[in-house]
This record gives sequence, C-alpha cells and structure tokens, in this order.
Amino acid sequence: MIQYAAILLFVLGLYGIFISTNTIKMLVSLNILEIGLNIFIISIGFNYQGIAPILSSVSDTGLIYVDPLPQALVLTAIVIGVGTTALGLAFAKSIYQKYQSFDLNDMEESL
Amino acid sequence: MANIEYLLLFLVGSAVISYFLTRLNSFIGSIFTIFATMFVFVSLAAYGFNMNLDTTVSLLPWFSFSQTYLGFFFVIIIAFIYLMVSFFHPYFLDKYPYKNSYNLLFLLSLAGIIGAFYTDHFLQLFFFFEMIIWTTMFLIPQGKSREAAVSYFGFSLTGSVALLIGIFVIYQNVGRFDIQAGLAGISGTTSVFVFVLFMIAALAKLGTFPLHIWLPLAHGNAPHPFSPVLSGALVKLGAFIGILALIKINPIGPVIGAIDLALGQYIIAFIGSLSIVFGTLMAIKEDDAKKLLAYSSMSHGGYILVAFSALNGFAFAGGLYHILAHALASAGAFMAIAAVARATGTTKMKELGGMIHKMPITYLAYLIAIISMAGIPPMGGFISKWLIFQAVIDRGMILIAVAVFFGSVGSFLYVFRPLAALFLGQEFREYKHVKEAPLLMLIPTFIIMGLNIYTGVIPKQIIDFINNIIGENTAFAPVVATTFTVTATYGTLNAGLIALIFGVGVAIAFIIFILMKKSRKVELMDTYTAANFVHDEHLLHYSVDFYAPLERMYEKQSHWMKKFYDALAHKVKEVGKLAKYLFMSNNIGVTLIWILVIIVLLIGVVAL
Amino acid sequence: MSAVLLIAIPLLAAFISILFKKYSIYLLFAVTIFNIANVFLATEGIIIIGGFSPPLGISLLVDTYSKIALLLVNALVLVIAALNVKAYPKYGTILLLVVAGLNGLVLTNDLFNFFVFLEISGIAAYLITASNKKPITTFRYLVIGAIGSSLFLLGLIILYSMFGTLNMVDMIKEIALNNNYQELVLPFTLMFIGLGVEAKLLPFNSWVKGILGHSNTFSGPMIASVYASAMGFVLGRFITNLFNFEGMLLTVVLVILVAGIVLSDIMAFASKKSREILLFSSVAQASMIALLFVNGIIIWAVYLIIANALSKTVMFMIINKAQKDVGSDEVKSLQGLFANNLVIGIIFTIATLSVMGLPLLVGFTIKLNFLTELADAGQIWTIAFILIASVVEGIYFVKLLLKLWYPEGNLIKVNYHLSFKLVFAIIALALLTFGVYQAPLDKLDNTVDTVMEVVNNG
Repeated sequence: MIQYAAILLFVLGLYGIFISTNTIKMLVSLNILEIGLNIFIISIGFNYQGIAPILSSVSDTGLIYVDPLPQALVLTAIVIGVGTTALGLAFAKSIYQKYQSFDLNDMEESL
Repeated sequence: MANIEYLLLFLVGSAVISYFLTRLNSFIGSIFTIFATMFVFVSLAAYGFNMNLDTTVSLLPWFSFSQTYLGFFFVIIIAFIYLMVSFFHPYFLDKYPYKNSYNLLFLLSLAGIIGAFYTDHFLQLFFFFEMIIWTTMFLIPQGKSREAAVSYFGFSLTGSVALLIGIFVIYQNVGRFDIQAGLAGISGTTSVFVFVLFMIAALAKLGTFPLHIWLPLAHGNAPHPFSPVLSGALVKLGAFIGILALIKINPIGPVIGAIDLALGQYIIAFIGSLSIVFGTLMAIKEDDAKKLLAYSSMSHGGYILVAFSALNGFAFAGGLYHILAHALASAGAFMAIAAVARATGTTKMKELGGMIHKMPITYLAYLIAIISMAGIPPMGGFISKWLIFQAVIDRGMILIAVAVFFGSVGSFLYVFRPLAALFLGQEFREYKHVKEAPLLMLIPTFIIMGLNIYTGVIPKQIIDFINNIIGENTAFAPVVATTFTVTATYGTLNAGLIALIFGVGVAIAFIIFILMKKSRKVELMDTYTAANFVHDEHLLHYSVDFYAPLERMYEKQSHWMKKFYDALAHKVKEVGKLAKYLFMSNNIGVTLIWILVIIVLLIGVVAL
Repeated sequence: MSAVLLIAIPLLAAFISILFKKYSIYLLFAVTIFNIANVFLATEGIIIIGGFSPPLGISLLVDTYSKIALLLVNALVLVIAALNVKAYPKYGTILLLVVAGLNGLVLTNDLFNFFVFLEISGIAAYLITASNKKPITTFRYLVIGAIGSSLFLLGLIILYSMFGTLNMVDMIKEIALNNNYQELVLPFTLMFIGLGVEAKLLPFNSWVKGILGHSNTFSGPMIASVYASAMGFVLGRFITNLFNFEGMLLTVVLVILVAGIVLSDIMAFASKKSREILLFSSVAQASMIALLFVNGIIIWAVYLIIANALSKTVMFMIINKAQKDVGSDEVKSLQGLFANNLVIGIIFTIATLSVMGLPLLVGFTIKLNFLTELADAGQIWTIAFILIASVVEGIYFVKLLLKLWYPEGNLIKVNYHLSFKLVFAIIALALLTFGVYQAPLDKLDNTVDTVMEVVNNG
C-alpha cells in the first residue's frame, strides 16, 4: 500500500517540475520526487512481522528481519539528494544574481 | 613489371612530395606532378593493354586487385586525361588560394581512380570512390564557387551511399564482397533493389537527369584545369557503375515484347533520353562556355546510358567508344577554354571574341573537339554515335531514337556557339595584349587533337580492344572492323574514306582561301544600326540573346529541377527546425513528456 | 596495483586539494598520470572490496573493456586540463571528482554503487558546465539530470525487489534463471532512459543544446568527449549484458536510436551556429554508439567511442577557442578561420573527415566494419537509415569546412597556442595512421567485454 503513496509522491514531483517555472519550486518538486523514491526504496525491504536487522546472541530461528540493504541505500540516496539540492540552490542563487528573478520565464529571451 | 600496389604507393608518396615542392615553388611542384602522372600513365599503358600488370599485394595486404579489360579501358582513358591536364598546372596554380594542396589532392584522386578500377572487392571499390570524392571535392572550391563543391559532394555522396546500400544488399544475399561473384549471385527481387540502387549511383556520378544539378555548377565553377578532369574523367565513374548494373544484373520484371527489352533497361534508356533532351535544351540557353559544355556532358551521359541499356553488341561497343570519344572531346574543349580563360580571365561568351587571331592553335583544338562532340565525321564522336543509332533503330526504340536524333541535331545548335563567340567574330579592345598559350600547354592540346582525329579515322585498334571487353563481360557478338571501317547491322562505315573526302574538302577550301581576295578587316563599331546609335561594342556581340525566341519557349521550365532540390533542402531544414522545437526545447516539461510518452507506450504495448 | 586505487586516489586527492587550492590542478596531473600507469599494471578480474565475497558487498570488474575506457577517460582529462591550465586553473578539485566518478562508473559491478558514481560524476558535470557562465542552462541540466538518475534508481530498486541482489553478475544469472522478459520491461525502460539522459540519446537530451551550445574550450570537450565516451562505455556495458533488449522493447529502442541518428543530423543541417552543428553531430554519434551496442557490435562501438572522443575534443576546442576570440559562433562570422591557421585547419579537416567516415581516416574503417556486421545481422534497413543520415551529415560538414577555409571579406584573427597545435597534431596523426593501417584494430574483438564470461564461469 505504501508503495502507491510513494509512486504518487514521485508523480507529484514530476508534475511539479512540469508545471513550475520558478527555480525554487522546481527544486522543491525535485525533493518531493526524491522523497517518494526514498519511501519506495524503504518499502521494498519492509516486512510487517520483521524486526530490526541486528545480529544478537539470541537464537534467531523463526525471526524475520527487515531487509537492511534498502535502508542503507536510502541513506546514501538522501545524502546525494541533499547534495544535488544544495547545488541546485546555488545555481538558483547565481541565476537570481544575474537576472534578479527566480522565474525562468522572466529571462527566456536573455538566454 | 609494374605492380598496382607500387603504383598506388608511388602516387600517394609523390602526392606528399608534391605538396612540399609546390609549397617551395608552384612551378617545380607542377612539373613534378606532370612527371609523376606520366610515370603512372606510361606504366599502365606499357603493361596494362595485354593484362600484364602485377596484381599481387605484399605491402597493402588488406587490398586485393585483379585486372579486367573493362577496368583497364576506363583507367587508361582517365589516367590519360589526368596526364594531359597536369600540363596545365604550372600556369594556373598561382591563382588558387590553397595552391599547395592542389597537386596533392590531384595525385591522391588519381590513386583513388586506379584503385577503383583494379579492385575486385566491393568495399574497396567504395573506399576508392569515397577517396576520389573527397579529394576532388576540395579541388573544386579553389575555383569560383563554394556552393558548387557542396553540390558536387552532396550528389556524389548520395550516389556512393546508394552504391553502398546496394553492396550490402548483395552481401546479405550472396555472403561475400567479390564484385563478379556478387553481381552474378543475386536474383529475384533482390536484383531489382540492387539494380535501382546501382543506377542511382550511376546517374548521380554521371550527372544525368534527374541528378544533374551539380554538373553545370561543378564544371562551370571548378578551377579551369580541373573542369576537363571532371567532365572527361570523373563522370565516367558513373558509366562504370552503370555498366555493372545494366549488363551484369538482370532485374526481374516484365519484358517489353515489341522491342524485346526488359523494363528496367528500358526505363534507364528513357531516363538517358530525357537527359539528352534536357542537356541539349539547357546548353542552348547557356551563356557561360564552361556551363554550356557541362550541359553537353549531361546529354552525352544520356547517350552512354542509352547505349548500355540497349543490350546488344553494337550498342555496347558504341557506348564504350562514346566514352572514349567524349572524354577526348570534352577534355579538348575544356582545355581550350581553360587556355582562353587564362589569357582573358573570363568564360562568358558575350565578353569574348576574335581569339582566333591571337590563339589559332587553341582555336583549332576547340574546333576539332566540338566536331567530335557534335558527332560529325571524321572524328571519334561520329563513329560512336553511328553505332548507337544503329542499335537504337535495330531495337525499334522509337521514342528513344527521337531523343537521340534530337540531341544530335541540338548539339549542332550549341557547340558552335562558343566557337563563334570566343574565337571568331570581332576582337574586343581589352584583349589586344593576349598571346597564344605557352608551349607546355600546347603539347597536350596537340596530342588530344591528334587523338580526336585518330579515333575518327582508324577505329580498328579501339574496336579490337572493345571486342575483348565484349568477350569478357557479355555474350554479345563482337563488332567487325578493319583498319578504316566498322560494320554494323545496316551497313559498313568507311571512316577512312570519309576522312579522306573531308580532308580533300578542307584542302580545296584552304586553296580558295589562299587564292581569293583577302577580306577587309573592320572595327566592331564600324557599322550602323537603324534609328539608334550603339555606343557599347559588347551589345553588338552576336551571341547576346542568340536563341532568344527558342529560349523563351522553355524559360520557366528550365529551373524546375533546381527549384526541386532547393525545395528539398529547404524542407529538410524545416524538419530540422521542427525537431529542434520538439526535442531541444528550453522547457524541461517537453523532455518530461517525451520520457513519459515512451514509458507509457512501452508499458501499454507490453500489457497488451 | 589494485584497481580500487583508480577510484580511491582521485577521491582522496579531491579532498586534499581543497586545502591546497592553488596546486589542485597539478595534483590532478599527478593523479591522472598515476591512474594511466595503474591501468597498465592493474590485474584483470573481479576485485572484492572489504572482504565480502560476491554477491555480497561491492566488487569491481577489470577487463580489457574497462581498461580501454579508463585509459581514454584519464588521458583525455589530463590533456584537456593541461591545455586549459591557463584559462581555467581553478577546476582541479572538480576534475579529480570527475576522474573518481567516471572511473567508478566504468569499474563498478554493483548497481547501487553505480548510481552513486553516476551522481558524483553528474554533480561534477554540473559544476564544469558552470564555467559556461550560463546558470540557466546549467540549472536545467541539473534538473533533467536529477530526474534521469531518479528514474535509473527507480528501475534499479524494482530490479532489486524482484531478484534481491545488486551485484550485476549475480543479477544477470538470476534473470537468466527467471526467463520472463515481460516483467523486466518496466525497470529496463526506466534504467535505459536514466542512462539515456546522461548519454544524450535523442528525446531525453534537451539539456545538450544549452550546455554544449554555450560551451568553452574546457566544458565543451569535457562534456562532448570525456563524459560522452564514459557514458557510452557504461551504456554499452548495460545494453550488452543486462538489458539484452528483446521483442517490443528492442523494436522501440531501435526506432528511438535510428530516429535519433537521422533527426540529429537533420537538426545539425538546419543549424547556422558552428557549436550547434558539432553538438548535434555528437548526439547523432551517441545514438549510433548505442545502436551498435544494441546489435552486439561491441568492439566497433568501442573504437567509434574512441575515434569520436578524439575528433570531438579537437573540433570543440578549435571552434570554442575561435568563438572566444571572435565573440560569436555563427558559421558566418567564423568564415576564413583557417586562412591564417593552416595547421589548425588541416587538423580540423582531418578530424571532421574522420567523423564523416571518409577513407584514409579511421572513421571510415570503423564505419565499414560496423556496417558489415550490421549486414551480417540482417539489419539492412538500419544500414539504409544510417547511410541516408550520413549524406545529410556529409553535406553540413562540408559546408562548415568550406566556410571555415574560404574567407569572405575581413580576415578574422584567432591565435592558437603551440601546445594546442602539438596535441591536436598528434591526435590527427593517430586518426590518419589507424585509418590507413588497420591491422592493430583487428587484434581485439567482441570478447573485450567479459561480463558474460564471468557470469558463465563464476
């Protein structure tokens, strides 16, 4: 079920990028898209009866772990997403410094 | 023994040397080029006639060569034209912006030609063809126009691409690139595809209708010494491909019963006759002497196509003879005009006149060349046209025959125009200082003059060699020839006798000219016109609007093909702009839509 | 030496270089030279990192294929950075990141690790294009690039959820066992599009026009040669080993690629700016390379990548330098550029003729060989389309060449540094040599890519 919500967020992000001309709004949409993606990744490894995948001295017969790999992937993906967003914001700022606007439509002709 | 591999390497090596020599001094570089070309020509002539060339390869292991009579026929003609033209280089090169590379590219293209006619491998044939195209493409813009080079390259490339697609179709069906085996191995619908593709290549390179636009542009604007090569030598590559397609491939299709000829061949003959008619009409209209000769090349290309599509011994022999005769005639004519252009700086007919007084030998060379070109005895062009006429009538191709005769009559209308305009008539004041071409340029002029007459008087050796080609490539009956005569279906042509009578006529005329009273020389302005005073002597030039009434009849139509190709280029550009709008938008949304369209399309298709 | 150092050293150096900003570019030279030496010394095979034996953990795969890619990428970065050392001295850190990212992309055998390197090299690419001083185009590149890599990640995660592994070799095995291509269409499409954005395949590449259309002597060759060839190599790896397009997906991909070639050449034909002509030609070449990989013609695709990278480096640098000095990249305003720069003109002509695939140059050898293999595969229509596009390509390149050779009116003045001429001359000579002497090219064949071998033999 949670996968549908994740896909919905992903598509919402795409839609946001599609309709917005404002650089900041685009970056926000991009983040929504990435959050959707991250939730999707997490949901892949999720298991209703699962417990945290920590190795302990207790006998593990009959226990179901949550898949730890997607969690590791998501951490990396989040970091990468933050990096991209930061860079995007930096470019948005330099666009603003050059054209005094965040709206790409305002400077279409000045390309 | 001469080895083809060594000849190729020799040419490439001397091309590089000629670059540095020309850089040092263009005269020395050009003289070197003459000797390099001469060496190659002599090697080919000494060993090639009897198929004694060494075709083994040791240094270029990825090439393979074999010699055929057909290939040799072409290669010796083209090498000869190259040799003749190279004599002109010392006097022309200094005018060109990149003169250093001229000899380099010239020799490289000759290497390409030798390779193209000696290889027995389709991909190598393509290799050499492309090499010829790009080397010559860089020579043309040294003349007057860059557009001409682009047009030449575009059409030639279209031709090569058609050829290459055809080669791959053959390869897919036969599984090898061997030329003889490949052409023999195809059948059914494949043969139709290959036939069409090869013919596109042939038409493009021969410069025949409807792929002729580049011909007047390239011939007319190329450097003066390069026009003879284009017209006399390079367009013959198309004839070679044409022979491969028309003689060696038998495309399936209906046979036209009345003339007993396959539809494919008949269509080509028809295209050839269209080419004859259009070439003739456009040549009549043209004011630039070089462009006029270019259109004449177009119509002669048509003759060659008609000859090879008629599919019998006389036609085949006539076609090959015509290739030789036209190569000599057009080279002679273009070289004469090059000599005039060097002295006067123009090739426009209405700006020239009276050159016979200053350049009598050049005049004679041009005269003999155009006699051959128009197919008048006693020159080579007559014998070849005679053979082609025989074959066309023999087949009963009425429509084609009409075009062929129209072209023959039409060529009278245009070839003498440059003669009269450039050489005869009154001399303009600005050309008082003009002198006859220097001795080095007269050597090839004399040789070509002699050969034009030789091919028209003594056909024996040439016909014998052509019979070798017939025996090698076809099942046609050989043509019977004695020293001075050629025999065809409808009689025997005694070329020697005709030449004799012609000679006697000329002699009588000459005696009358000597004995009779000398004509009085008058100035061009020494005249009067009714009711108005003409103050510009150029307006009195007779070639101004000479065929005005005739031209008016097809003035509008004459640009149709050019407009068609312009429109085609324009349309391609429009498509490009549309594609830019669709794919290269500044709006990220457009890219997103494309991504989604493709995902949805795939999922949809797979789900179904 | 271990191939891990090819990634680790540049990454470490990138951090160190922040401390010594002035010397970062020299650090880059040292690192790339070390990398090139390392490529020759590295042992081939699977390299396990951290002691986790596959399919657990991350592993690298070193074979002839990745060695060629590494050599090309590192050497080109070195050359381009060295030629731009005066004009763009501050990019040392970023270039170290580029080297680390691209080396990682080529080497890694782990799909998620691949995604990480894709992002690292992507971020470095955005920074490089910032040197164009056109922040809007760079911003667009960033957004499209981020969407592309998100799509790639989505496809990758779907694959993970299906097969439970991220190791490429392991996944290929699982897919072969599963043998239901229908289910794989969605993830493969997503991954193909994700890579297609970076490899500038046609409908996903609208960023190219803004980026390469305003590029300079540094960003132009970096994006058009270095990134294009690295992406070509990894795309090839994915197509030949993982995707193995089948059925409807194969048809759609073929149509996309063939349309990409034809339309890009037509777009170049419609362009009047020299940089646009070059960039559209690059796009066409990228589609061509992908097309060859789809048809399993690995080795000639590899040679095409190399030849294209070398020629495009030369062409973009020459044009972009001229643009910088003249102030415009309209073909009209660059007319007669070579009248005073004979050597540069000859080199540019050789590079162009090689891209066009004319004889005596290596482009021709490559073209004929891959066309023959396409004919062997029965792709006569693909051949026809490629060749028709090549007519259009020939015409616009000849137009460009003749305009650049023949001046009209005033002569423009552009000075090329001797080092430019020297490096370019070596490249031109290489294009000429391998065009005439084909024997060394025949030494390698499609087995340069050993992934399938590893899959089959463990």
